[in-house]
Amino acid sequence: MSQTQTLWWASESFWKKMAIWITAASAVVLIFLTFDTVAKITAGGKRVPAYSVINHRIDYVFDEKRNHQVPVIGPVEPLFGKVLSEAEAKDLVSKGKLTTQAKNCMNCHTLLGNGAYFAPDLTKSWLDPAWGSKEVREQLMVDFLMDPSDKLHNALGRRMPKLGITEEEARATVAFLKWMSAIDTNGFPANFKPIDQADAAPETAPPPVESAPVPAL
Amino acid sequence: MAALGILDSANLNGGQKLAVKYFTVAIALFAAQVLFGLLAGLQYLYPDFLYGVLDFSVNRMLHINAMVVWLLFGFIGAVYWLLEDESGVPVVGLALGNLIFWVFTLAVVAVVLVYLLVQVGPGELKSIWLINEGREYIEAPRWADIGIVVCVLVFFYNVAATFMKGRFTGIGGVLVLDLVALAGLYTAGMWYTPNISMDQHWWWWVIHLWVEATWEVLVGCLLAYGLIKTMGVRRKIVETWLYIEVALLFGSGILGLGHHYFWIGTPEYWLAIGGFFSALEPIPLVAMVVHAVFDAGHHKLKSTNNPALAWMIAQAFGNFFGAGVWGFMHTLPQINLYTHGTQWTASHGHLAFFGAYATIVIAFVYLAVQKWRGNVWMSGELVGGWKWKWALFLLHVGMLGMTMALLVAGYEQSQIERAIEGSGWMGYFAGQAHPWFQQGMVWRMISGWTFAAGFVLLAWDLMTIGKRESRPARSVEMREAPAMA
Amino acid sequence: MIEPVELANFFTVFFSAASVILFGAGYALLFAWSRVSARPRLMPLAYAAYLGLAASVITLGLAANLFNSGFWTFIVLLMLVGYLLAPHAVWHLCVGTHTDAPAAESVKLTQPR
Ligand code: HEC
Ligand code: HEM
Ligand code: HEM
Ligand SMILES: [Fe+2]
Repeated sequence: MSQTQTLWWASESFWKKMAIWITAASAVVLIFLTFDTVAKITAGGKRVPAYSVINHRIDYVFDEKRNHQVPVIGPVEPLFGKVLSEAEAKDLVSKGKLTTQAKNCMNCHTLLGNGAYFAPDLTKSWLDPAWGSKEVREQLMVDFLMDPSDKLHNALGRRMPKLGITEEEARATVAFLKWMSAIDTNGFPANFKPIDQADAAPETAPPPVESAPVPAL
Repeated sequence: MAALGILDSANLNGGQKLAVKYFTVAIALFAAQVLFGLLAGLQYLYPDFLYGVLDFSVNRMLHINAMVVWLLFGFIGAVYWLLEDESGVPVVGLALGNLIFWVFTLAVVAVVLVYLLVQVGPGELKSIWLINEGREYIEAPRWADIGIVVCVLVFFYNVAATFMKGRFTGIGGVLVLDLVALAGLYTAGMWYTPNISMDQHWWWWVIHLWVEATWEVLVGCLLAYGLIKTMGVRRKIVETWLYIEVALLFGSGILGLGHHYFWIGTPEYWLAIGGFFSALEPIPLVAMVVHAVFDAGHHKLKSTNNPALAWMIAQAFGNFFGAGVWGFMHTLPQINLYTHGTQWTASHGHLAFFGAYATIVIAFVYLAVQKWRGNVWMSGELVGGWKWKWALFLLHVGMLGMTMALLVAGYEQSQIERAIEGSGWMGYFAGQAHPWFQQGMVWRMISGWTFAAGFVLLAWDLMTIGKRESRPARSVEMREAPAMA
Repeated sequence: MIEPVELANFFTVFFSAASVILFGAGYALLFAWSRVSARPRLMPLAYAAYLGLAASVITLGLAANLFNSGFWTFIVLLMLVGYLLAPHAVWHLCVGTHTDAPAAESVKLTQPR
């Protein structure tokens, strides 16, 4: 241990330079990737669809090639029976997003898997089979959001509280949830079983006799 | 100098007088964090408890916001604590610093009152400006965001200008650059977008690049100073290691951001980047372990402040287990697909935040009370020394208990809810109702109460430690003046 | 890009991922301790810990389907080699950064090989 001269690879100045260069290089790579990523997740792209996607049926189907489920945009199936322009759809989804923020949904739920763990993940809540059938779903969701306090769905007694959501906000929130379910999340959540959205019967055939299953509300 | 063992601000330099104010608020907010954590935890077991009064969302928001703010206050305090010592000159804008301390504290009180009393707003931008932004950890409304940025800028000015006027040590240099990054990143989380993918993409810039990059480096600076102070480690060595840590932490942590970009709509290449850097992230931690053993052999663990040293050692372990082991367990996308957003994440979040950050702030508060009382003895055979040891013990038993309970619950949840049931509404509750989960929640509470007991003891100890001591502190020999850089 | 873990492999995956890091820590710790306290007898234990690490990495690779793709196989190899060399590298750095210490401060250290 009599050496007095510092080895270059153990010297302060070497590591100072390393610290600077490594940080700078990582930051530059990150910025490059960020440009690309931001472009790819801007609404209207392949992964994050345009807001007017809420005019369509959205499904979540297994894709052989990618080896996981992916959102599939189906035939026109407007939300609340009204086809919206892209601008109208954006306003509606935005109102819903603002509602989720102002009511703090993310401190009970997860959205795209981020948030709190006290209540179910909402990424695909639009497609949840617990809404019963696709015919009643929209209205049930609105009713539920406006006052969930008397609509318990579990054996634990864990209810969602009434958050003062107006009907307008509830509809917007449903639009937001529908839009979110169309985002390509690389297969998260895996193994999700979406609600049956097939048309009740071919157009020529008479409507089926048996009524839709009674929703569990 | 006042008599030994008596709290007297004459024992402190200007920056340190300001630091102890920040520490005081930090500990008060820590208390709030524990309180609201307990309330939120109880609601898992008794869903009607405070239902409609203080809902889970409100308690949880207060719990995690109190955490972020008390840690930030602790960091700011710690930097003011070392600032004059390190730079060799008095803090440049101390009066301004004091003013900002009060502004910041009042703003925090106002935000908390709004969280408690108003809770939610209508679905309009106005709510985001005035009530809360509804985005985990950074819920603070936008007026407060702007206030925080102003406060941090003033703080930054004080730090940078003081170093500039005095000497710019290696620690000072890293600290100043790191603070720029830390403050700049916060602004990435201030903007509204209807696009949830975009929202979360930038949100992670704040959260991940804080806790896995800039906060880690800040703590590296604090530890470097702490090691010089408590153990008399030579500055040149400490600063070389600080650079090594910066290189390793930023090298793995910045692009490690990828592990949050698997499932939020971001492109598939993040699966590969996240996986690659996940494999690298343990390296800085291994470096710290080897180095700590090396140093322990070198310095024989003789210190001037045993509680502070113990908490610094706890930091090394906490960081390793919380971030390293618990982080790595769920970070590969093959695994994260099922653990993402489960109690597994909560298990990791608790151990990592406590282990890496709460510990170091507590260590600095111990350094502060020692000097505040006239630099009293805080090495072996301390009068009333059982308190700090028991506080340390109970806090760790409580935290580890919570972590393990959440881990068991998270394991069950990822299997039942995620893999088998496919994450639907009913699947979620199938997971929640499972005995492993329910028992996990019980054990979390038992451990939570243990943690709370440890906290009470800690607070008591911080108020009283050294009170009946008449011996002056053990001195460490400072072997050289700080090098100019 | 990725092949999700089979249900049957859940426990294996979590357990092996944790043991990768724990064995890694054990290896690093024993390695450093053996050198710092000049106890060469500990060194075989350190390498035993590394063997545990290697076994865990491979188990993880199998259970998480990492060997089905070139990229993930590369990550496995990276972990095997990287974690083997890291403690050596860090040790050299420790010794290197402390070499210009005044004689009074230095303790007896086994020389790096
Ligand atoms: C205080 C916690 C809390 C808050 C805040 C909260 N929820 Fe809920 N939410 C719950 C709970 C608990 C359930 C499960 C209710 C049940 O099973 O009866 C639930 C259920 C739901 C469901 C049905 C679950 C599914 O998988 O489809 C939807 C949709 C929903 N919430 C949307 C929202 C939205 C949107 C917000 C914000 C505007 C919100 N929640 C805020 C606790 C909360
Ligand atoms: C001190 C450092 C760290 C702290 C304080 C920390 C804290 C956290 C917290 C609080 C979350 C949850 C965020 C949320 O609420 O959604 C989280 C998520 C995560 N962390 Fe860390 N972390 C640290 C280091 C690490 C490291 C080193 C790794 C990887 C090796 C890691 C991997 C992850 C992953 C993969 C997630 C996402 C979990 C999910 O998908 O739900 N973390 N971290
Ligand atoms: C009395 C002790 C504590 C209790 C009972 C407690 C309880 C809780 C509860 C119930 C949640 C909500 C989890 C969920 O969404 O399901 C939570 C979240 C969280 N707590 Fe605590 N907590 C305690 C102490 C702490 C401490 C000391 C820290 C860190 C210093 C901490 C950090 C966090 C973090 C980071 C989260 C968010 C986790 C995530 O989103 O993944 N908690 N805590
Ligand atoms: Fe992260």
